[in-house]
Amino acid sequence: MTEQILLTTTVGSFGKPDYLQKARNTHARGKLSASELTELERKATEEWIRRQEELDLDILVDGEMYRGDMVAYFAERLDGFRIGGLVRSYGNRYYHKPVIASKLSRPKPMTVEWFRFTQSLTDRPVKGMLTGPYTMLDWSYNEAYRTRRDAALALAEIVRQEAEDLEAAGARYIQIDEPAIHARPEEIGIAIEAMGIVTQNLRAKTISHICYGDFAAIYPKVLELPVDQLDLAMHNYEYRWLQLFDEHPFTKELAIGIVDVHSHRLETVDEAAEGIRKGLKYVSADRLLPHPDCGLKTRTVEESVDKCRVVVEAAKKVRKELGARAVARA
Amino acid sequence: MKTTVIGAYPKISDEHQELRRALHRADRGELDDAGLAEVFDQTTRWALGELESAGVDVINDGQIRWDDPLAPFARAWKGCERGPLERFYDNNTYFRQPVISGPISSDGSTLVRDFEFARAAARGELKAAICGPLTFATLTAEDRHYRSLEDRTLAVADALAAELRGLKAAGARLVDIEEPALVAHPEHVQLERAAIERLAKADIPLALQTYFFPADALLDALSTFPVAQIGLDVRSRDTRAIQGLRPLKQTVVLGVVDARNTRVESEREIGDIVDAALRQVDGDRLWLAPTTGLEYLPHDIAVRKLAALVSAARALGGVHA
Repeated sequence: MTEQILLTTTVGSFGKPDYLQKARNTHARGKLSASELTELERKATEEWIRRQEELDLDILVDGEMYRGDMVAYFAERLDGFRIGGLVRSYGNRYYHKPVIASKLSRPKPMTVEWFRFTQSLTDRPVKGMLTGPYTMLDWSYNEAYRTRRDAALALAEIVRQEAEDLEAAGARYIQIDEPAIHARPEEIGIAIEAMGIVTQNLRAKTISHICYGDFAAIYPKVLELPVDQLDLAMHNYEYRWLQLFDEHPFTKELAIGIVDVHSHRLETVDEAAEGIRKGLKYVSADRLLPHPDCGLKTRTVEESVDKCRVVVEAAKKVRKELGARAVARA
Repeated sequence: MKTTVIGAYPKISDEHQELRRALHRADRGELDDAGLAEVFDQTTRWALGELESAGVDVINDGQIRWDDPLAPFARAWKGCERGPLERFYDNNTYFRQPVISGPISSDGSTLVRDFEFARAAARGELKAAICGPLTFATLTAEDRHYRSLEDRTLAVADALAAELRGLKAAGARLVDIEEPALVAHPEHVQLERAAIERLAKADIPLALQTYFFPADALLDALSTFPVAQIGLDVRSRDTRAIQGLRPLKQTVVLGVVDARNTRVESEREIGDIVDAALRQVDGDRLWLAPTTGLEYLPHDIAVRKLAALVSAARALGGVHA
């Protein structure tokens, strides 16, 4: 039975192979056609599915080989957005911050074909991956809607349509990321209201990833976010958010970050296993899912693989310990 | 009515990406420290040139070498290092939180070389900037030395006072203290006063720049702070600060163009804010600025925001002179 506990997963993105990075640059210069680029993106996606299977991860992702940025990818496909110039996020990393320039709408599904393709490559479940309405708003410039709530709710309607299309295409897990949810703690009610629109009709397991911010400022209110599982960066914070669960018990499934994604340093299996043990003090093993702190797109393919391997080995190690304890009790 | 800028200027534009490429090459070991330093200097010259050609009266060096507002200090000071990545207030911009392992100290030279370089390259008036003591202290991830926020803030203030003395010796005549923490945590206003009093001992004119949050509740307290200028963001959130400027005895640096939204303000919009401010303070005590660092905007919009700022100030100068 220990195979059903501590299911391992990842947050969504992986490092892109060199050939794809070069192809994206060539495409941006107009020297590679969209269909040629798509072929390479499919090749890279298939490679990542094979790697995840070889690593023995339980719940897979498509790796986002076809996305640059988690907000811009959607903004580029929605009516009403304009793509702005480059803005720095940290260090030497820049992104095209979108502008909400007029009323928003979704001309057609944005991720469903990629989900179908990826799920067709494997028997293991693949997560449908979306960016949440509050984060879409917070990481864009709003020129069009009178209030931030108005813009968030308009985005929620669009994300709802996409999520329901993913479910209709067979997605059993749908992840709607809200890493900006604590940007303005006083607006958590807006994020909760917007997520309620997105998940109201879904039967799939719903997940939301939250990272890099003051989680204490939104806890325990964030437990009202209408999703089944919260996916939290923990290693980067030396697991200090777990202490919050002493006062207000954590009530959802917890996907727990046990390796840092912004460091070249590779954690040891023992170190990562200790992170899982910390989580087990608060969440039972059937509701605890070890993974890296965040998406791995800033790492190379090799670093991404190494980080995932540590996660899987750590989970196996702790499963074994739990199994041994269960046998001893029996 | 003078114009000025606060904080960091965009480090790259669509056409000018030398620094981004150089940092990538340095990360891969293909560019040495001297080569990277040269690109930092070139980029600083470019930023100075852009600020000057926009017609801004009092400029800074664009903080091209600053990874984030805390980085130069967390890197240079004894007793301190750069720790985990964290979001900088309500921005999709991230910084490394300081980790304090022992008594903090500075030899006061952290910014001197860069200030001297920029002053030699700039044609007009150049001010310097430091991170605010409360901002540094409240954004610290871990403190293994000081026993309280008070002790930590005052220790940071002492290290910053050393930086101010270094900048003064290098010829600085005005220094911004970038202090969003004061308006994020107005409950610490008395601690901030104690910290600013330590900075004031360096005997150099200071501009206390607050941004991201309203300063409404703090205006009376700020009026007796020993600083030459108070910067206020009147665009980021709902605020009535503009109606409460009267107690302030210092020059008011009014953030009238929103450095966190791409919509470019009209001359009329800026004029309405300034008119409201002029009912509270004299025109010779009013400077106009973006709300915060222009690096939160893409370069092309930053340029348009500066143009809006300068043209509004000139039009108003004509009316109110």
